Amino acid sequence: MPMVTLRYEDLEKLIGTDKNTIIDRMPMIGADVERIDVDHADVEFFPDRPDLFSIEGVARAMRGFLEIETGLSRYDVKSSKVSITIDESIRPIRPHLACAVVRDLHLDSNSIEPLMSLQEHLHWGIGRDRKKVSIGVHDLSKIKPPFLYKAADPNIEFVPLNFDYPLSMRKILEIHPKGFKFAHILDGMKRYPLIVDAADNVLSFPPIINSALTMVTDTTRDLFIEVTGTDASVAIALNIVVTALAERGGKVESVKIFSDGGVRKTPNLSPTIRSLQVKDVNSLLGLDLNAEEIARNLKKMRFGATIHEDEIDVEVPAYRADILHACDLIEDVAIGYGYDRFKPEFPEIATIGKTHCIEDKFELLRDVMIGLGFSEVMTFTLTNEKVHFDDMRRPKVEVTRVKHPISIDQTIVRSSILPSLMEILSLNKHHGLPQKIFEVGEVLLNGKNAQRLACISMHSTANFAEIKSIAESVLREFRTEFTIEEAEDTAFLEGRRARILVDSCNIGVFGEIHPDVILSFGLDQPVVAFELDIS
Amino acid sequence: MARINQNDLTTDEKRILLALTKVESTSPEKLASLAELNVETAMRSAFLLEQKGFSKIIEKTTEIYSLTPEGILYAEKGLPEQRIIEFMDGKETFLSKLIEVFSDQEAKIALGWLRKKEWASIEKRKDEVIITPLSITRDPQKEILNLLHMKNTDLKRFDPEVIKALLNRNLIVATEKSDRAISLTDEGRRLVARGIEIIEEITQLTPYLIRSGKWKEKHLRAYDVNAPVLEVFGAKEHPYRRLLDQMRKIFLEMGFEEIRGDIVQTSFWNFDALFQPQDHPAREMQDTFYLDSRGDIPMELAQKVKVMHEQGGDIGSTGWGGKWSLELARTEVLRTHTTAITIKHLSDNPDPPVKAFCIGRAYRRETIDSTHLPEFTQLEGVVMDEAVSFKNLLGCLAEFYKRMGFEKLRFRPGYFPYTEPSVEPEVYVEGLGWIELGGAGIFRREVTAPLGIRYPVLAWGLGVGRLAMLRLGLKDLRDLYRSDMDWLWRCPICQW
Repeated sequence: MPMVTLRYEDLEKLIGTDKNTIIDRMPMIGADVERIDVDHADVEFFPDRPDLFSIEGVARAMRGFLEIETGLSRYDVKSSKVSITIDESIRPIRPHLACAVVRDLHLDSNSIEPLMSLQEHLHWGIGRDRKKVSIGVHDLSKIKPPFLYKAADPNIEFVPLNFDYPLSMRKILEIHPKGFKFAHILDGMKRYPLIVDAADNVLSFPPIINSALTMVTDTTRDLFIEVTGTDASVAIALNIVVTALAERGGKVESVKIFSDGGVRKTPNLSPTIRSLQVKDVNSLLGLDLNAEEIARNLKKMRFGATIHEDEIDVEVPAYRADILHACDLIEDVAIGYGYDRFKPEFPEIATIGKTHCIEDKFELLRDVMIGLGFSEVMTFTLTNEKVHFDDMRRPKVEVTRVKHPISIDQTIVRSSILPSLMEILSLNKHHGLPQKIFEVGEVLLNGKNAQRLACISMHSTANFAEIKSIAESVLREFRTEFTIEEAEDTAFLEGRRARILVDSCNIGVFGEIHPDVILSFGLDQPVVAFELDIS
Repeated sequence: MARINQNDLTTDEKRILLALTKVESTSPEKLASLAELNVETAMRSAFLLEQKGFSKIIEKTTEIYSLTPEGILYAEKGLPEQRIIEFMDGKETFLSKLIEVFSDQEAKIALGWLRKKEWASIEKRKDEVIITPLSITRDPQKEILNLLHMKNTDLKRFDPEVIKALLNRNLIVATEKSDRAISLTDEGRRLVARGIEIIEEITQLTPYLIRSGKWKEKHLRAYDVNAPVLEVFGAKEHPYRRLLDQMRKIFLEMGFEEIRGDIVQTSFWNFDALFQPQDHPAREMQDTFYLDSRGDIPMELAQKVKVMHEQGGDIGSTGWGGKWSLELARTEVLRTHTTAITIKHLSDNPDPPVKAFCIGRAYRRETIDSTHLPEFTQLEGVVMDEAVSFKNLLGCLAEFYKRMGFEKLRFRPGYFPYTEPSVEPEVYVEGLGWIELGGAGIFRREVTAPLGIRYPVLAWGLGVGRLAMLRLGLKDLRDLYRSDMDWLWRCPICQW
């Protein structure tokens, strides 16, 4: 989750109250205060609230939550003379674009850095690591509108940010740190996205890197912001950036976007209207609030709210990306009301508790095994072929294999529990004998859950007769007719292994573990084992 | 102290008491032979008698002397000063002459001792040192060397100064030896005077003794109830199992039905049915274990879910936009949460009321460390009924955590993709403060509507591992699944 650094000095100035009040209440709007430092706090916000990924956005929300300033934040958007054209060529590659101009900023190192980190958080939160949305911020004084957004020849050269000599776009993908990090987004494309100005100077190579020309510094007053992407969420990303800058005193101006013979203006900072029923709020939350109280809490959360009897018209700010449904507004009412003010009430629903039959069976088996002196273990179901087949001297068979294992130790889901128990013995070879352990648990057979009991006994005189006694003792508890015959399981010693048949179906195996298997697990004591299918 | 009579004594103790009456004070070896016991048993009983006040054991340490290699040499050849004085045969002799015959070193050693023992006078004339013999006195140093050489170690009659001189000359060494002297106390003597009777003792009842009634005639040896015995450990359920069972019991007591389900799930049940957008980061390869296989999904339901994802259906939602892919939904995964099971259960049982819970393994593509595992146990409860609300969800949480033994609980806003409102319960743990323990919320309408669920679904869950670490005092989550036998043996059943 994105971590936002909140400098107290800045925070107090933007909110208008002391830092202790702010930090104390902040978790209650939905935040994890991770670290409190001398001059700043690091706070994590939830991924559904990208509008809180900047100190300005946090300040806006906290002003409402602390009722210093409530209701909708309205932002003026004047028209600028700046325009940009979306060229036909870019349509199949990265067709969405939203732009804005923000003027009269007084940036310094304290405000440039948060702006950059807001961009990075949005690239993560909305942009899916720039794949879906990427943002470019430029010093407007360095470039000459109108601009053109097009697909361009990868051989076109410009000086990218953090470099002092020109590179072709192709080369940037190879050697620029941002280039090779994000090159995969442009995989298979013959032409690359590019934004140029009236004099053919490059502004940016979305979603990779800006040009060095437009770099924002502490002398920058006016910004040109472009957001490119593969869907309409470019608009919300732009709105979050420009309203954050507006909170710092920037004046937002719209940009004309020509495309497909038409023209439109961005950003659109007017709120969307949703209506909310008083009864829906109360029934979902279990409260008895009237329309005024609901409206007040919505305003605390920076919505606009107009009451029409039992219905409230809610103005949803243009920077809120998370309001899909009325329930999203209702959650904000609950947060505004305060989670700490709810009186928990256990629902009085008459139902009868019921166990699952498999768990019942597990429970009975555990009783039997513990009675027989075996200690229960619980092991991983993820394992690997070496342990599962090679070390067990068993032939490889089809098992459920994960596509992208996280380590060579965990590549498959087990189809037998015995190898897991052998591993436990191997971990415990420094402890005293005898060691007797069992597990009842799940394995996967043909991609489906199956339930197994396995037990294992290791000591200097462990032998076939001992494990046969155990196996028969367990089987007797099932009250089923069974027969025992010689088995072929190569994990066991020939002549000292048997399988269990019920209605001529093979349901289990027991015997003396093969010495090679014992050695494979780093052991040297006789081991006898038993595994039973209990599905 | 309560008065002890002879019945409180073991047979061995009685034997020792009787043996001690025959001597004033004795050594362990002698005592053992008098009591007809081995030394170890005799001394154990003697010590027990001492604790009871009947015997006295005095420890004495004595010095035992023996010859060094140099000491052995002089014992055989004679001390240098003695050999020199014998060589001089009563005549004045120059030192230079002595050095010629003896070594320089021996001559110099001898010179010092001749002077000390006043066997000769030494004077310097011009450049020469002249030694004049005087009378030879008895030499206790020589006597000691001879005695030690003959393995006689009794040096009591010698002046300690002489022994010290030999120690300084490095001709003898001292080692310490401790001796015990055992004797009766007055109390012991009085006890013996009252009469001691030795009866045959038995340590183990046998079927014969029981059947024959002979045990009545014998004396059953009393056990020292504080004496250590062999440690044994009972086979037990795994400590983690007991914790899981505790939770399971809580759910059953609250009237919930236990549900289970497959580890392998389609993305549809794991993600799509929970309104997780198909491009959601949690669905990416780096977070989820995907399989090569594809599963079947109910087509009618898939259509409804598709509409919900793409444009929000008819419940006033915007949906996620974009195109929803059936193929992606069919991709199979190792379930990333047990919610895949609860949502399927709700889909099969859309009529209220439903109260169900699920405890099972979940799989996430996490790098293993002390607090993260790619495989972990998750617990989840759901309540669906006509008029349930957020307040009831908090009520369920409060009841559940209270029964788990957490009295102090608070609620904070949370975020989970398929619930709204969402809440993060935190419990107060002494010494650790507020700890986030699980997540909860009411399923979004986008989740419930396509499944035909008409009423709110309250849901909460937690990764039980974290709680287990807290309860069992583990530092590493892996220890739950890679059990140390000693820990299993010793981990007490009572944890809370």
